[in-house]
Amino acid sequence: MFEWLFKYPRDEFTHGEFVFASTWPQWVPVAAFVVGAAAIAFFLLRRRQMGALKLAAIGALQLAMLALALFILWEPSLVVRSLKTGENAIAVMLDTSESMGFTEGEQTRMQQAQGALGSEAFGRLGKDYALRRFVFARDASATEDYSTLPAPGAETALAGSLLQVLRQARTSAVGAVVIVSDGGENAGTLDQEQLAEIASLGVPVHTIGVGRERAPEDLELQEVLAPERTLPGTTLSARVTVRHDGPGVARLKVYDGDKFLASREVTLPADGTVTTAFVDFGLQEPGFRDLNFSLDGKEGEAELRNNTRATVVEVPQAPSRILYVEGEPRWEYKFMRRALDDDTSVRLVSLLRVSPNGFYRQGIDDPKQLQEGFPTDAKDLFKYDALMIGNVQAAWFTPAQQQMIADFVSERGGSLMMLAGSSGLGDGGWGNTLVGELLPAQLSAEGGSFHRERGAVVVTARGSRSPMLRLSDDDAENTRLWSSLPEVADYQTLGALKPAANSLLNVKIGDRQQPLLVTQLYGRGRSWILATGGTWRWQMGLPVADQRHEAFWRQLARGLVADAPGRFELTARSRGDTVLLRAEFRDEAFKPQQGVTVTAVATPQSGEPLTVDLRPSADQPGVFEAEVPAAESGLFSVEALARRGDQTLATTRMAMRHESGRAEYFTVRQNRSLLEQLAQATGGRYWTVDQLDGLPEAIRYSAAGVTSQEIRALWNMPALFLLLMLLKAGEWLLRRRWSVV
Amino acid sequence: MSTRRGIRVLGMLAGVAAVGLCAVSWSQQAQEFLYGSGAKRPSEFHFTRLAYQGRNGVARGRRGSWLTDWPEAEEHLLGGVHRLTRIDAGEQGRAVSLMDEELFDYPWLYAVEVGYWYLDDTEAARMRDYLLRGGFLIVDDFHGSREWASFVDSMQRVFPDRPIVEIPQADPVMHVLYDLNERAQIPGLGAVLSGVTYEKDGTVPHWRGIYDDQGRLMVVIDFNMDMGDAWEHADTPYYPEKYTALAYRYAINYILYSMTH
Repeated sequence: MFEWLFKYPRDEFTHGEFVFASTWPQWVPVAAFVVGAAAIAFFLLRRRQMGALKLAAIGALQLAMLALALFILWEPSLVVRSLKTGENAIAVMLDTSESMGFTEGEQTRMQQAQGALGSEAFGRLGKDYALRRFVFARDASATEDYSTLPAPGAETALAGSLLQVLRQARTSAVGAVVIVSDGGENAGTLDQEQLAEIASLGVPVHTIGVGRERAPEDLELQEVLAPERTLPGTTLSARVTVRHDGPGVARLKVYDGDKFLASREVTLPADGTVTTAFVDFGLQEPGFRDLNFSLDGKEGEAELRNNTRATVVEVPQAPSRILYVEGEPRWEYKFMRRALDDDTSVRLVSLLRVSPNGFYRQGIDDPKQLQEGFPTDAKDLFKYDALMIGNVQAAWFTPAQQQMIADFVSERGGSLMMLAGSSGLGDGGWGNTLVGELLPAQLSAEGGSFHRERGAVVVTARGSRSPMLRLSDDDAENTRLWSSLPEVADYQTLGALKPAANSLLNVKIGDRQQPLLVTQLYGRGRSWILATGGTWRWQMGLPVADQRHEAFWRQLARGLVADAPGRFELTARSRGDTVLLRAEFRDEAFKPQQGVTVTAVATPQSGEPLTVDLRPSADQPGVFEAEVPAAESGLFSVEALARRGDQTLATTRMAMRHESGRAEYFTVRQNRSLLEQLAQATGGRYWTVDQLDGLPEAIRYSAAGVTSQEIRALWNMPALFLLLMLLKAGEWLLRRRWSVV
Repeated sequence: MSTRRGIRVLGMLAGVAAVGLCAVSWSQQAQEFLYGSGAKRPSEFHFTRLAYQGRNGVARGRRGSWLTDWPEAEEHLLGGVHRLTRIDAGEQGRAVSLMDEELFDYPWLYAVEVGYWYLDDTEAARMRDYLLRGGFLIVDDFHGSREWASFVDSMQRVFPDRPIVEIPQADPVMHVLYDLNERAQIPGLGAVLSGVTYEKDGTVPHWRGIYDDQGRLMVVIDFNMDMGDAWEHADTPYYPEKYTALAYRYAINYILYSMTH
């Protein structure tokens, strides 16, 4: 019908460019329309006894006919570029990863894919273009035909494979790429950067999805996000994502090796397919903890291998160190120290100005430490993992020391916490300093923002999810414990929060609330404001056995130091049968160093240790990388050594869970959205295996490859003449009805 | 006999009435002390005097022994605290009794003439709770074995199982700001006027204390000394300046210790 009315297929209109073929100047049709419109108005006004409404209706129809006639006279045309048959190639990529072997109904996904490749649509493509066939899983490789396939791949690198094919095709006329896949990208190669690179190559990618999109009988533990490092005894909160296609309740369990740690029920709503939940647990023993997360299977669930995920969390043995600089003796200092006294994971080193000329130091390692006051050398300050500044004016620090504090957060990656006080925050002149810039809230410069008035502390919605503010695993109990705390003794008003900042605690004064505990990321570290110096009332105002004050400070202190990077950091990531190692080495001032070599000994759970030299990154100073073969799954531990010549500079260790060949079990469902995203970004389309008839036509209008340009005249489209006739007939019928013929 | 018995009964009734009147008087004094004069600027540290009752609720002296040296002792000392430390200290002292709701707002207490104090079981339990939560108590101006016994009688109700020990020279309380290596007996004014440094049979000064389970001092006991007089008479020409200076140093160390440990 479309083609009968408009002469050409719909795709020609989609891909073609509309032009007027007439060579007359553009002002001519405009002038002709104005003259025609004036003539129509002149003749109609002579019949003004018809009434305004009737005149307007007749006039509108005549103007539309005039416009349509002029449109036809100006020869509307469509410029269509299409692939030249016989001169272009089409790259066909068949997914041969392990998940293509999943059986759905009578056929495997691979059989469905083979059926699509043998369809009439591909037959037509084969006649018009040269078909270049590829298979891909982790990598793409060319093949003559699909009668013999390689062994199923343990991983799917869809974007990486596509880029390989497109780069190979640069030297020849490839008009389009057709991917036949379940979309189970699991190598982590498809990010926005790669998508942009693929799109920039200008070759349309058509995707044909195989595999079912819903699996109601299956639960999939899609993702587990847990901190890489935690201190002994700290409550950890891991975020788990469950993929499901129906309502229900799933039970999630967490194990440290064989030791049960925690479990919780996850309610799966009927109106969603991805549900996120948090599970809290604590780790006591130092070392690399091999954590396993598992979902209990549903009744009738066949594929249980996608119900488990594993991750490694480091629990360091050596205590982290916090430097606390306090400008005057105060109760908050005393009770905070007491709360942290029994925590062997965090060492609080404090520098207290007790008199105009005197410091009092506590928690120091040797008598010379901080003897001269606040450090003046970055390497002395950067030994600490976090810095707390209490009731101290900004002017007490030299500009160089303020710069060092800013670098402590942005370069060293430490945490900075500023506490309230009559000489702290805005009242201490911090607002217009370098340090003020990195704080999570604007600070008032007017003074008088510190108030010795009481206020009740309220946990915000975000704060109630923060592990460092959990006083109980039970949500209701946690809320009760917070709401029944005594009021704090004082508070300090803050300005507007910075865009990236979050308030975890508020203080309620009368009917209004204001932020009390605020934080934001800054550079490699994080900044905090605790806008009170009066949490000590929680300790003095509650029975001796109540541990809420201690829990608050211990968890907060652990939160401050937990993510502080060391000088020599080692990370690893699985990619198929390899492990990618990345080391970052910095000197005592946390500056990247030249002339350093990094060697690592990688030891798989079963197998021989392997020594590798890491190569310096081309674009990131201080970063070293290597790829280590790892065919076996299991715990993978690495010990690295940084050297300059024969001198050993530092050593570090890490461990990870390497899961070779498990990724494909997490592709029970076709990832249609990914295939659609890929097609849309490149100008192609997503197709299903049973509706491929339009594929050859869609490919024909590709702008890539060798194309020809044709002009299609549109003036003689039946639709235009039909419209013209309808307008004229409409006018005639109206005139007849109103008896004004 | 019946007349004598009647007189006895009347005497007992009069005694009970007197105790009651003294209690009312004590309470009124406390209220006057707390709220009587002007607005009080809220500060981080307040010199907080412990208001206590004597045995059977009978206050000693005109105002009660807990008010001994008030208000000059704290006013003079707080001037020194302002001058010599960075503590944000209130300009006037405050007072609180063990059963007051505000007790836990003041983590530092000074109790004077504790040879005459009496803590019943309820007050002792309250004091125990206060100290274990992190409160700090200094007791001063009591002398000789009899007053010691009276003090210990109440203190043992507070901590039946914790010993009272001599504070070692190495304890941080003796060094937190000043290195207090000189253990001179600090006398009251009366003793000075008598030409000695002791009162009653308290010839030897003692710095004693009670520690918590973490080895932190909860109670500092200045026995056979009168630091309160040394602060009070800082402006008395015939009170030796050396004792005032030393008493200031001890007090500042006590305060700083209580705010850091």
